[in-house]
Amino acid sequence: MITMPRYDPKTAVEAAVMVREAASAGCVLRLVGAGTWLTAGHSVQADTELSTEQLAGITQYRPEDLTLSAGAGTTIAELDEATRAHGQWCPLLPWGDDRGTIGATIATATTGPFAERLGRPRNLVLGLECVDGTGRIVAAGGRVVKNVAGFDLTRAITGSWGTLGLITHVHLRLRARPVVDESWTVEVPSGARAVIETFARGPFAPLACVNVAADLSPASSPDGGGHDDDSQDDRLWIVRLGGNEAHVAAARAALRAIGTIRPSAPTVWDEVRRTHAPTARALRWRWDALSLRLRARFDPAQVLNRGLLGEVA
Amino acid sequence: MTSLAAELGRIVGDAHVIARATQLLVYRSDALPGLQRAPALAVFPGTRDELIAVVRALAAADAPFVARGAGTGLSGGALADEITLLGLHRLKRIIAFDPIGRTATVEPGVVNATLTRAAAPHGLHYAPDPSSQTACTIGGNIAENAGGPHCLKYGVTLDHALCATVVLPSGEVVTLDRGDVDRDDGTGAGYDLLGAFIGSEGCFGVVVDVTVRLTPDPERVITLLADFMRVRDAADATSRIIAAGILPAALELMDQPTIEAVESSVYAAGYPRDAAAVLLIEVDGAAAGLEDDARAVERLCREAGARGVRVAHDAAERARLWQGRKKAFGAMGRVAPHLVVQDAVVPRSRLAELLDEIAAIGERHGVRICNVFHAGDGNLHPNIPYDAHDATESARVHAAMQEIMTLCIAAGGTITGEHGVGLDKLPYMEQLFTPDTLDAMCSLRAVFDPDRRANPGKVVPVRACREWHGAVAARPTAHVAVAR
Repeated sequence: MITMPRYDPKTAVEAAVMVREAASAGCVLRLVGAGTWLTAGHSVQADTELSTEQLAGITQYRPEDLTLSAGAGTTIAELDEATRAHGQWCPLLPWGDDRGTIGATIATATTGPFAERLGRPRNLVLGLECVDGTGRIVAAGGRVVKNVAGFDLTRAITGSWGTLGLITHVHLRLRARPVVDESWTVEVPSGARAVIETFARGPFAPLACVNVAADLSPASSPDGGGHDDDSQDDRLWIVRLGGNEAHVAAARAALRAIGTIRPSAPTVWDEVRRTHAPTARALRWRWDALSLRLRARFDPAQVLNRGLLGEVA
Repeated sequence: MTSLAAELGRIVGDAHVIARATQLLVYRSDALPGLQRAPALAVFPGTRDELIAVVRALAAADAPFVARGAGTGLSGGALADEITLLGLHRLKRIIAFDPIGRTATVEPGVVNATLTRAAAPHGLHYAPDPSSQTACTIGGNIAENAGGPHCLKYGVTLDHALCATVVLPSGEVVTLDRGDVDRDDGTGAGYDLLGAFIGSEGCFGVVVDVTVRLTPDPERVITLLADFMRVRDAADATSRIIAAGILPAALELMDQPTIEAVESSVYAAGYPRDAAAVLLIEVDGAAAGLEDDARAVERLCREAGARGVRVAHDAAERARLWQGRKKAFGAMGRVAPHLVVQDAVVPRSRLAELLDEIAAIGERHGVRICNVFHAGDGNLHPNIPYDAHDATESARVHAAMQEIMTLCIAAGGTITGEHGVGLDKLPYMEQLFTPDTLDAMCSLRAVFDPDRRANPGKVVPVRACREWHGAVAARPTAHVAVAR
């Protein structure tokens, strides 16, 4: 395969120049982060790659405010390490692995095992900077934890798969790591799915609760429809409990009443995330009238990721 | 009556159209004092079909309009300046209620607290709880992305809305579904149009119905009141609690002038009158371990210099402590006839220093600033009681507010955390955002309302929108001429 020419902007201003040039030359740019997941199963007929690799690094971290800003090319691993040192974390830890970038996580709105309890990209991204398809540098939202100033460009761009703009910089809300943080492998009797799901929705709601097969691979199909006909798949769960001593002790007791539990190393989550990595398949993107208009307003020439979401040019 | 009024009357019944200037005076204000704009016409649809038909009739007449819930907004966002006001308070049905799936689908005019009351028998509640919750509507909450004290732990309106049916200003009816985005297998299937719509302040369209998430009532709640002899100690205690990894359900600060106003009113909550500030702190969740959190909060407050920490002994005492907080704005009615309830957000760690600076601004301008706010979020509400009929005092209030906004922007904060931009904050938008960003906001609006007929002239200064710049002069602001 022939390697595509590649742009590596170091700043949003450089990226904006590249996008404007591509637009006037009629080129299509394929946006890439670490190149680990950004595929929606449709092919992009691109001339050039536009990479966030040089837009990397933590630019501001205020542990006392539980907020952090980073270049889009910053890896999940780097964020995790920097925040861990302060007893905090960015719970966006997506399905897949830690080589992926925060920019791609937000661009694809990829969630992970902690999404239900601790928030998804749409809940945890406070603001972002992006270069849209017309070369505008858009500084959406802000760095503080509550903000309703102006129309919500942050939500529009989050999860847009780079079809509205190249995310260059993000501002995130962090969480404190719980004082006690335990992971357990729980085996419940077959057919007890409802019991553990009730536990997960109750007062002891764990940080994460994932149904797995014996080798930790997904026990259910990726689109959420479990193999209901095969009750074997209901039995094995990885559960993460967090809170103060007394809370976790009570939660552990409640879990023990549901099934057999044995401790797991915290690293089990890396493995669960890896084995649950999204597979490349064609997204059935909702191209309704509003969505087409949104694309047209932010990237009228379809310079960015043309065809990725199966849109008709 | 004009032909538009007659047409709207045919849809909703003449009894639900107001065209007389004297009757329209009621709709001249929202909860922001000092700004008044009279609508030319007001229409109140009573059903979903009537609402859609009204919006289509407005589209056919190319008539701009402003949607309005309960009019409790604090930014002038629901004011209609010589155009049609579309009142939604008659659309107050709870359409569907699913206690197992923990969702409810409601019409836009359902009052926030009414939804929580309906959910209560099932051990559920609607989490966003603005102080105006006994009056404000869910539709208005969606328009403003409303917050409230308990948003510290539970999140704002955005975090609780699942799906909305919306009538666009063109009359198109669309479904905006969060499910398009939040696929937990990492394969979103649509743009987050619902996320873009929430907080659009009535400029993108009108909610026909919205499905929201209901939250289980916590197993146990512990409410504490800590009092401090210095405001900065209370701010310091806030930082210590958050830094310790405790996420209270709410963490509210009230300063001495606020305490005094509350304690002198019928809402007296038993706050110590001689304290410089109190923190109202609530922890909730599973009963197991909750007392440990409460003890940790108490210890952190004392370490920060709290003179005393009191724990509410029963539900009645808790309700009383909260009533003082939620009715603090009303209590200030004793101090002066009008009240500016300001709204800004700053990095939480800078609260102490910024509160000192805000106090200095107040002194410089000779205005009295009462602080009552969501300290845990860094969401300030510096309030100024004043007499809006006194021109010189109004000018001083205005100057102080301008300085406070500039201060918050310089501190890396924002000009509104939950009240919206409306008309009131319009002048600060160009201070906060770049021309490219404001232009992109105009582009986003154009997706939903290319003719900018919904709540025109709010949120983003028109001059910031390049594509509209040339067209502005050509567009008259008022399309409805009504005989007065």
